[in-house]
Amino acid sequence: MLNQETVKSIGRKPAAKKGKAVLTAVLRWFILLSIGYIVVYPLFYMISSSLSSRESFLDPNCVWIPKSLTTYNFKFMWGVMDYGKAFLSTIKTEMVSALIEVASCAIAAYGFARFKFRGRGFLTACLFLTILIPSPMLIVPLMNNFSHLDVLGIFGLFNKLTGIDLRLNLLGTSWTFWLPSLFASGLKSGILIYIYIQFFKGLPYELEEAAWIDGATPLRTFVSIAVPSSSVVILTVTVFSVIWHWNDYFLATMYMEKDYPLAVTMNKINDLINYAGIYLTPDKPEGLAYLMCGCLMFIIPPLVFYLIVQHWFVESIDRVGITG
Amino acid sequence: MKKRKLRGIESLKSKYGYMFVSIWVIGFVLFFATPLIQSVIYSLSDVVIGGETSFAGIKHFKMLLTEDPDYTKNLSASLSSILYSLPLILVVSLVLALMLNQEFRGRLFFRAIYFLPVIIATGVVLKYISGYGSTTDKVSESVTDNMFQVTDIMNVLNLPAGIAEYVQTIISNIFSLLWQSGIQIVLFISGLQSIPSSLYEASRVEGASKWEDFWFITFPSLSRVTLLVAIFTMIDQFTSSTSPIIETAYSKMQTGIYDVSSAMLWFYFLIVIAVMGVFLILYNRMLMRRWG
Repeated sequence: MLNQETVKSIGRKPAAKKGKAVLTAVLRWFILLSIGYIVVYPLFYMISSSLSSRESFLDPNCVWIPKSLTTYNFKFMWGVMDYGKAFLSTIKTEMVSALIEVASCAIAAYGFARFKFRGRGFLTACLFLTILIPSPMLIVPLMNNFSHLDVLGIFGLFNKLTGIDLRLNLLGTSWTFWLPSLFASGLKSGILIYIYIQFFKGLPYELEEAAWIDGATPLRTFVSIAVPSSSVVILTVTVFSVIWHWNDYFLATMYMEKDYPLAVTMNKINDLINYAGIYLTPDKPEGLAYLMCGCLMFIIPPLVFYLIVQHWFVESIDRVGITG
Repeated sequence: MKKRKLRGIESLKSKYGYMFVSIWVIGFVLFFATPLIQSVIYSLSDVVIGGETSFAGIKHFKMLLTEDPDYTKNLSASLSSILYSLPLILVVSLVLALMLNQEFRGRLFFRAIYFLPVIIATGVVLKYISGYGSTTDKVSESVTDNMFQVTDIMNVLNLPAGIAEYVQTIISNIFSLLWQSGIQIVLFISGLQSIPSSLYEASRVEGASKWEDFWFITFPSLSRVTLLVAIFTMIDQFTSSTSPIIETAYSKMQTGIYDVSSAMLWFYFLIVIAVMGVFLILYNRMLMRRWG
């Protein structure tokens, strides 16, 4: 496809062609804007309804721009959601786990992408199985295992023989998130490893081979050659991992006993608003403003994160080569 | 002598391969394979919390399929939703990816907008804005009401009832559809980028139109990506926590009924895996016939 610049460099375009180009541009903008409107509508709706005071929220004449602004909704929902505490616990469990996962998945994927070894085909098939089987299938046995942490039944056997129980109870601690992430088996790790593998396979091998021959160990080539040239894919994986962890509520509901992350709060926000004495019924629409405000507060942190990285993310996504 | 040395390097390399992969293999065994087997055992036995589990055979499966009035209904609801959402998501995300892949002013702005669903739509918030929860139907209702008067348009067009109903479903689900297409758009864009531009230059020299370009270059080149997107969408839909089967199994688990809920999920996922297998075989055969 010849792009705009090359066409320009060839020479002046005929008038008819120019008109057609303008028409295409207008049409493209029209379609993209109108579908984009649907995409961002909920966001606008959340912002508008959480900022409007009760009177202007209930006023049918005022749809988008509230007549009078208020921050009351935010203050109210901050208390209802116990936002500060929930936010900190999200950082501690989910975000730390997300970052661990970014590192451990890279290591595993490098092994898959760069080295030939017996059983690689079988292990790759297992990797696909982990993508296919969703976490709810595994959650109950995992909870059992975390409540008496054991490696292949050794400590259990030890317990039966001597009566000394060395098995730790990890339920309710952040280790239930950190430990699987450390071994590249956390939340949706399969997909992250797959993205890494596709990228590593596309990296030129010569540089690493040269380092190899000069006596660098594979660990060294990984750290000082592969990782520095993979900033694009690391960013992509970080975005996915952070977002998925931020939105995870199921694992947290099952593993944690208190200090729930924000997503859990968000999942039961209807009940929380009800406890606070406001009932979400169709004839009392003011509850809706609180609900929307809660949603907005929940997505603000990932939204800010996205706005910070979106410049690189949006630019680089087509260089990751996820599709191989 | 030389050969032996080479083999030495090969075996050293495979050793390092195991070293890198072992981190995942340990995780796979501890946090995937073991619980997976345990959940099979759960589904085949009576689980009493704090007590002994005893073998029960396929009792739970039998009960679900013959006695439980909701299970088969939920099962068909969970499986059939893919029939209308998969083709739509594929078409919508491909068209949007084609547009966002072109060079034009404001491309970054639009990409930022269209990638937004990747950030937000994977989460719990989606259920509030798309009106899955019964108390919040109001949100999606007010949203669609504000946008356009769907029923009015339908009346003017005077469509047959079946088509009208289909369009109605699409429009009332337009949010969730668009919001679920985020990653699919990303995948298609990266697929489009991997098509060598020399193909387009050659076809331009031969005098092909843009339309022919699409059908003879873009579309065939995307066949692998399309498969990937389709599989990703299916996994996403089948395992989403809003699917009725998973929702009921979740709530059963939270009340401590592990055996029946495991059986529920296992039967569902056996069907899902079978569906995906059939899909893969059909797709491969179709590709073989069309493009050799």
